[in-house]
Amino acid sequence: MAQAQNEFSVVGKRIPRIDAYERVTGQAQYTGDIQLPGMFYARVLRSPHPHATIVSIDTSKAEKLPGVKAVIHHGNAKIPWSSGGHTHPRFIFNNPVRFVGDPVAAVAATDRHIAEEALGLIDVRYEKIPHVLDPNEALKPDAPKISTDGNLSVGKGNFSAPIEESWGDLEQGFKEADRVFEDTYITKHTNNAQLERRVSVAKWDAGKLTVFASTQGVSNARTDIAKDFALPLSKVRVVSKYMGGGFGNKNQAQDYDYMAVVLAKATSQPVKLEFTREDDYIGMHGRWASEQKYKIGVKKDGTITAVQLDAVTNIGAYRKQSGNLSGTDFYQIPNFRKVIKPVHTNTVVGANYRAPAYPQSVFGFASFLDQIAYELGINPVDMFMRNRIQKYKSKLPFSSNYLEECIIEGSKRIGWNEKWHKPGATGDVKKHGIGMALGGYTFRPGLGEATNRLNPDGTAHVLVGVTDIGTGAKSTMAIIAAEALGIPLNQIQLTNGDTDVTPYSVGESGSRTTPFTGPAVIAAAEDVRRQVFALAAGQLKAKPEELDLRDGQVFAKSNPAQKLALGRVVSRAGEIIGRATTNRSFKDVEGKSFAAHFAEVEVDSWTGHVKITRYVAAHDSGTIINRLPAESQIKGGVVQGIGMAFTEELITDRVTATPINPNYRDAKVPTHLEAPEVEVIFIEHPDPYGPFGGKVVGEPPITPSVATIANAIFNATGKRIKELPITPDKILLARQV
Amino acid sequence: MEDAKSGRSISRRGFLKGLGGGAIGTAVITTGLVNSDAAAAYSPEAVGTGRGKSTISLKVNGKSYRVEVEHRNTLAEVLRDQLGLTGTKIGCDRGECGACTVMIDGRNFYSCSQLAVWMQGKEILTIEGLAKGDKLDPLQEAFIEHDGPQCGFCTSGQIMSGKALLLKNSQPTEAQARRALSGNLCRCGNYNREVAAVLAAATKAG
Repeated sequence: MAQAQNEFSVVGKRIPRIDAYERVTGQAQYTGDIQLPGMFYARVLRSPHPHATIVSIDTSKAEKLPGVKAVIHHGNAKIPWSSGGHTHPRFIFNNPVRFVGDPVAAVAATDRHIAEEALGLIDVRYEKIPHVLDPNEALKPDAPKISTDGNLSVGKGNFSAPIEESWGDLEQGFKEADRVFEDTYITKHTNNAQLERRVSVAKWDAGKLTVFASTQGVSNARTDIAKDFALPLSKVRVVSKYMGGGFGNKNQAQDYDYMAVVLAKATSQPVKLEFTREDDYIGMHGRWASEQKYKIGVKKDGTITAVQLDAVTNIGAYRKQSGNLSGTDFYQIPNFRKVIKPVHTNTVVGANYRAPAYPQSVFGFASFLDQIAYELGINPVDMFMRNRIQKYKSKLPFSSNYLEECIIEGSKRIGWNEKWHKPGATGDVKKHGIGMALGGYTFRPGLGEATNRLNPDGTAHVLVGVTDIGTGAKSTMAIIAAEALGIPLNQIQLTNGDTDVTPYSVGESGSRTTPFTGPAVIAAAEDVRRQVFALAAGQLKAKPEELDLRDGQVFAKSNPAQKLALGRVVSRAGEIIGRATTNRSFKDVEGKSFAAHFAEVEVDSWTGHVKITRYVAAHDSGTIINRLPAESQIKGGVVQGIGMAFTEELITDRVTATPINPNYRDAKVPTHLEAPEVEVIFIEHPDPYGPFGGKVVGEPPITPSVATIANAIFNATGKRIKELPITPDKILLARQV
Repeated sequence: MEDAKSGRSISRRGFLKGLGGGAIGTAVITTGLVNSDAAAAYSPEAVGTGRGKSTISLKVNGKSYRVEVEHRNTLAEVLRDQLGLTGTKIGCDRGECGACTVMIDGRNFYSCSQLAVWMQGKEILTIEGLAKGDKLDPLQEAFIEHDGPQCGFCTSGQIMSGKALLLKNSQPTEAQARRALSGNLCRCGNYNREVAAVLAAATKAG
């Protein structure tokens, strides 16, 4: 809002990233760019079988290859990887192996090609065990068991199963309905596919371990490593300064970090372990696939009376994440019940990918709502407006909720009223359609820490544990600091992502950086300002509480003409250090960022090819701290949704159980040619709980994008595609409703 | 990207799609680059294992180098590991993503799909050589102003493809810019920004 922007000096502007220079000149040093003296290179050998016991591993030939320095496997490196599996225990090398791609061994050599050659010289004898790929098959009593507890993945807390949630009176809700609809929607495994392949550099210096990790969270990575290697936290340093994307699959520490650590120990030299692109697709995880069965009760006017969701999600061989589906979150549902069964199969792990439980289930639920609107003869925009969420779980209000305004402004911008027509109504070869859906993501405050140091020349160091995976988090923190301190942005040096230097941060996942660490940066600035004002009070002949600091000048609010340069104040104290730990929590409210997306498509009814001709994304993320990267994130989330909607799917061959397209070309991520101009609208109202009123930006944009496109295709063709990805063949073969 | 042999303007990714696989595509697209000097550096056994070595002379960012390379080393590896020019990234190492894009004799190529031994006598331009001293190239400036990098891992490649386009066509249309960058994947999905930056740099230069 114009008013909010006027109050701030740096917040809410369009500011290039503080590290943009490094990023456009090739000077930004990513993990893979790190070269250490005497460093060895490592590669990973993976199981070719979906389920097998390793009978023997003979590494003698590999070890004889000149240049090979160490070979590790389950027999000599039985290291637990606790965050890799929350039900049955997982190790960095497992026996039995449970999917094609489960790590079997790793080799360190003087050169990456030698390490690769050595993988081929390792003689592994497997004894195959029956396997299961389909989650519904896996739930049958006689299915091969992947976990000793069975294939329904039962863990503790967040990892329980089935995931059950309900409120209201479901039976009553269906009784009150005028119509009850039932249908099933299906989504597939897609990969995060960030450009930077997974890589880790580990080195030991007299009992002190340093891991240069391509991680989204250095603090969590350190905790994981210390726990699984039984080391004191003080002996583990994790560094991540520049990160080449992750979208949720580089949270914490991962098995490849551990392998690098073991190999560095075994060789007494630094080791860089690099994934190949294929490793990256199959060796870690992607978004869990799902089969969603809905039963929805509605009144004649479209009002939802009850929703029942029964689903299975395929979380692959290990439970790294919940396997939940949360796409119903954006709708007001008085009576609700969901039962989600996360199921183990002998396939690649399904876990965190940007808004983990959302785009696939928003696709299912918002497609179905759009379909019900059609059945009832209601314009979808009225259907979504009528059923938009107003109270969390039908109970708690939100800290702020401008979803209504998102729908109004977005539909106005795209010209919904002029362009919407009855589905399939256009008769030409190229059929035009328009569609929409709602989305967003959890916004919640939490534990954050920050340290500020003021130098005697008035410049400042801001220390935060955050990483910057491409969101612009470093810039966001520096902007918040500049605003809160009253120091120009270019006088601030931000240090991030180094556990030996920077304080705790939750890690850049779950859209938590700004709401968790942002308030700590503000509080640390307040701590510094208190110290500055105490020092300057005498000289300015005013009480400390009457002073202000702006543009690096200290002055009394009543007499702004008489200024004292900040450096002169600080120099009297040597330097000034301020720090803060903040941990706010909600009181009787819940928090969310909201979004309403709109797309226009052109479908070629001869080829089934879809072109997105216009895309509008309206977002309520509270105050936007920095508009430039915030817009970029919205645009990018939409593009990822486009890939998921149209092309992306990791396909597992039914006979060999092998993923057959683990690379960019065959998994078909969107290129420049598939990306439309994404028009971004920010509905800006400050949230009372966010730093300077900001909520979250990173995850919301991907959540409604898939459903938005699917609904536009329905409007164009009158064909409801209920299974992702929406490929041309599905469009051509589908029947009009 | 360009097919070096025919000089036709062609999307590299589109080109690879038309073939059976990345490896075949690489072999075909690069044959045009093998000059006689580099070809002479082969010995049959070296080709067989890739472990054989040759010394090549090449210019990178205006500087002359003589480097001993294994025959299996790609240009991307030699730039990064031997010359320390890590601004060139390797995203897939199989000719799909374009993070490793550099210019060879004025044209953009995937440096992961060029063997280093083929670079005898070639002039290479990498992201590190784009600025003139402290003065950034207008395209780099435009990438800063238009928020070209999100994670930044594809940025060097996007800029090098954008630069190659602008050298050929100083006033590209938006469609031409998209086409020229289509061999450079950006998983952050920042395509709007990268194209906007190329067009802005063109306007500035024009």
